[in-house]
Amino acid sequence: MKITKLGEFEELVLLTVAALRGDAYGVEIKRELEERLKDTLSVGSIQSALKRMEEKGFLTSQFGEATQVRGGKRKRIYTTTPYAHKVLNEIRDVRAGLWKSVPRFIQNLKTR
Amino acid sequence: MKQRNNIQPPRWPVYILRLFVNAAWLEEIEGDLLEVFNNNLSRYPAGKAKWLYIIETLGLVRPALMRELSIPNYRKQIPMFKNYLKIAFRNIVRHKAYSAINIAGLAIGMASSIIIMLWVYHERSYDTFHKNAGHLYRLTCSAGDFKAAVSPAGMVEGLQAAMPEIEAVTRISKQSATLLEAGNNKFEEKNVFFADSNFLQFFSFPLVQGNKQTALNSPGRAVITANTALKYFGTTDAVGKILRVNNRENFSVTGVLANLPSNSHLQFDMLFSMASISHTDADLRDKVWDKFNYYSYIQFKPVLTPQHTSQLLSRIQQLYVSHHTGNKIDFQLQPVIAIHLQPGLQIDLPGKGNSQYVNLFFVVALLVITVACINFMNLSTARASARAKEVGMRKVAGARRAQLVLQFLGESLIVSFVSLFTALAIVWLLMPLFNNLAEKHIEVDVSNPQLWFSLGAIAIITGIVSGSYPAFLLSAFNPIKVLKGKNIPGNNHSFFRNSLVVVQFSVAIILLAGTAVVYQQLNYLRTKNLGFDKSNLLYFTMTGDLWGKQAALKDELAKNPLTSQYAVVSDLPTAIISGTINVQWEGRDPNSQVVIPSMDVDENFSAIFKTEMLAGRSFSKAFKTDSFNYVINEKAMKLMGFNANNAVGKNLSFGGDKGIIIGVVKDFNFKSLQYSIEPLVLRFNRWGGNVVVRTQPGSTEACIKTLEKITKELNPAYPFNYSFLDKDLENHYKSEQQMGKIFNLFTVLAIFISCLGLYGLSAYMAEQRTREIGVRKVLGASLFGIVYLLSKNFTRLILVAILIAVPVAWIGINSWLSNFAYRAEISWPIFAIASFTALVIAWCTMSYESVKAGIANPAKSLRSQ
Repeated sequence: MKITKLGEFEELVLLTVAALRGDAYGVEIKRELEERLKDTLSVGSIQSALKRMEEKGFLTSQFGEATQVRGGKRKRIYTTTPYAHKVLNEIRDVRAGLWKSVPRFIQNLKTR
Repeated sequence: MKQRNNIQPPRWPVYILRLFVNAAWLEEIEGDLLEVFNNNLSRYPAGKAKWLYIIETLGLVRPALMRELSIPNYRKQIPMFKNYLKIAFRNIVRHKAYSAINIAGLAIGMASSIIIMLWVYHERSYDTFHKNAGHLYRLTCSAGDFKAAVSPAGMVEGLQAAMPEIEAVTRISKQSATLLEAGNNKFEEKNVFFADSNFLQFFSFPLVQGNKQTALNSPGRAVITANTALKYFGTTDAVGKILRVNNRENFSVTGVLANLPSNSHLQFDMLFSMASISHTDADLRDKVWDKFNYYSYIQFKPVLTPQHTSQLLSRIQQLYVSHHTGNKIDFQLQPVIAIHLQPGLQIDLPGKGNSQYVNLFFVVALLVITVACINFMNLSTARASARAKEVGMRKVAGARRAQLVLQFLGESLIVSFVSLFTALAIVWLLMPLFNNLAEKHIEVDVSNPQLWFSLGAIAIITGIVSGSYPAFLLSAFNPIKVLKGKNIPGNNHSFFRNSLVVVQFSVAIILLAGTAVVYQQLNYLRTKNLGFDKSNLLYFTMTGDLWGKQAALKDELAKNPLTSQYAVVSDLPTAIISGTINVQWEGRDPNSQVVIPSMDVDENFSAIFKTEMLAGRSFSKAFKTDSFNYVINEKAMKLMGFNANNAVGKNLSFGGDKGIIIGVVKDFNFKSLQYSIEPLVLRFNRWGGNVVVRTQPGSTEACIKTLEKITKELNPAYPFNYSFLDKDLENHYKSEQQMGKIFNLFTVLAIFISCLGLYGLSAYMAEQRTREIGVRKVLGASLFGIVYLLSKNFTRLILVAILIAVPVAWIGINSWLSNFAYRAEISWPIFAIASFTALVIAWCTMSYESVKAGIANPAKSLRSQ
């Protein structure tokens, strides 16, 4: 079966959503990724990725609570779907397989 | 993390966002943006945070987030329209007084604008009904500053032979006063002209009876208008009937014209064929090029452009020079459609309009309707609080801003159309009155779709323009604040409202000042010293047998003490139309060309007219040589380079006749006061013309009776017609008088509308401050104090209006007065009075409501919720 390809950024966002476990909404996702990537991201890029993936069926969403800091507007909480899990794992397997075939000296297995 | 409260990002990027991004995601995205902004505030300075916010927001406009573009489905909105209509009518009915004020103001404004527009359109449409109107021109001439509408009789024929661009030419004579008789109807007609045989084909005056080609092609033929036919024959079936002319000839009617439209510069009751006089009139017989007594018209082939016109003019000029008349005359081609409104020419047909006035009234019409719209806007916004709860409820029920704007715009459109219908009724009622005032006959073509289209456009534009501001204001109410009953932010918009009031009253003051000036100037013109005594001068023109019985006439006049004060003059000093450039005097510069008018007067002239002699003497029977002598006026004397001491005795050749100057008369006005005094030559009158009698005040009636008796005896075939010189002089300023009356009318209207507005506003203000006034009264304020308090605000506005209006009025007045060679003194009391009047009127308007508020029982006003 063809393995669905996922863009690099989209994969990162999906993983972040999963990692945030129920707390995943636009600003939070952005903040988490920025911290890990050590770079700034625009709200627009995050939002387009989220909407695109929701359309493709990787994410579902629902309204969360409104807070003062958001000017009284509700946030949208995203959650990954089983389909997304399947795809993520597939890609991870593909990647892992490739890494295994790669010469040792490239592998920089350092643990944080 | 320091949370800095109350720093908000700019609002406009979000509006752009909303235009492009799918509505379902807006809440989340906007919330995210705000959260990011607030987070940034703690890390960066406020300016940078705002900048980042803008960048982020605009960066969200991207294809992935675009909304679906769908055409809004208006079908779903129809039930809402029905609701809007219902509410609109209910509102109008519920607030009858307010609605009445609104509709009345708007209707009056619209009605006046419509009437003025009709008038302006009428004035601008003169002579456009002729076929080929765009290619018809009149040949006019000028010598130096003297511009005249006439041309030589033989010229256009010659031009047509030499210029292939000319399609056709035609001529018409000057007015010829004629006595006409048919059966028992005998009248002296003024509007009779002689016309070339192709006149009816050249111009588009349709014939009800008769044949255009042949009606005027031989001597003794006459074409009359339908009204004239009714007057003389009692029927419009007049072809073949006979008219007796001047008791000497018979003319046969060969055609009946449909009554002439009022927008034609050619107004005639009767046309005689020019062939009838082609052998008796020297100008026609000799086909002269150097005597200017006819009106000539040229139709050019349809390829004319402005450059062509100047080329053609120079060809015409050359052709004229080649006829060796020796005169230096310039010619112009005046487009026929421009005749009515172009600046006046001398020796022209009566009934000219004035383009300055047309433009002026156009502007006035716009001003009046602007004032009415301003009224509407003011009253609507002032009463916004009454609709506040409704707006709140609608917003709670889910109305979007656009829907509310639509609703209120719709309401003002409805009011606008109701006003339009009221205005049309007013126009229909007042049209006859206006026609009387303007002395025109404006016909309204109700079948013209353009008319209805423009009327509809007026209503729509008025509705939208005046309704837009209130609509946006009302739809912006915050439902929470409004439903809680807090005070509406309508008071913050008082600047706009106040400036509207200022504009209204400035317009009113300008119009007031203008009216006052017009009346002053007219009065001045009426009472100015003309250099001769114009009062109590009665005159009649010699007709029929009187010409031959002049000696007998003079005897009869001298015998009766009532009529013994008489003089005989060729033309009356109201509008001298004769003149010549063929004048020679000692030391004349041969290159100069001046037109010098002349008047033939008898020996009694200076005594009867009470003119003053500066040097020498006036004509006298004692000197036989006086038939060849001249009296000149002061201006002529200066022109010729003489002075009071040496002028008498000098030689003068006038029109080829040599003579001596025997006297110099002090300047007097012999034309309308729009012209300054020109040089004048007086000759001795031995041939008659007009008899001018100085009547004694109190015995005028008796004098008239005596004159009638005398003329009836000597000249029974002709009716006795007389006039008063001063009345004739007044008629010169008819168009100014009319303008004054119309101006007056519109001033009253503008003031009325402004007062309506002011009344509405003051009523509202008083209502708003009911509780405040109640408290003040309890604390001991007097009635005067309350009235003063309520009027203070508006009085200030009117003072500002005065400051603006006076300079503008000053400029306008000066530019109007520059039309006149003689002007009245415009002094500041006019402006003071105009301003004061406006103030007083405003106070009276406000006082009703203010006093009512001041008298109210404070217990009642303080009792509410």
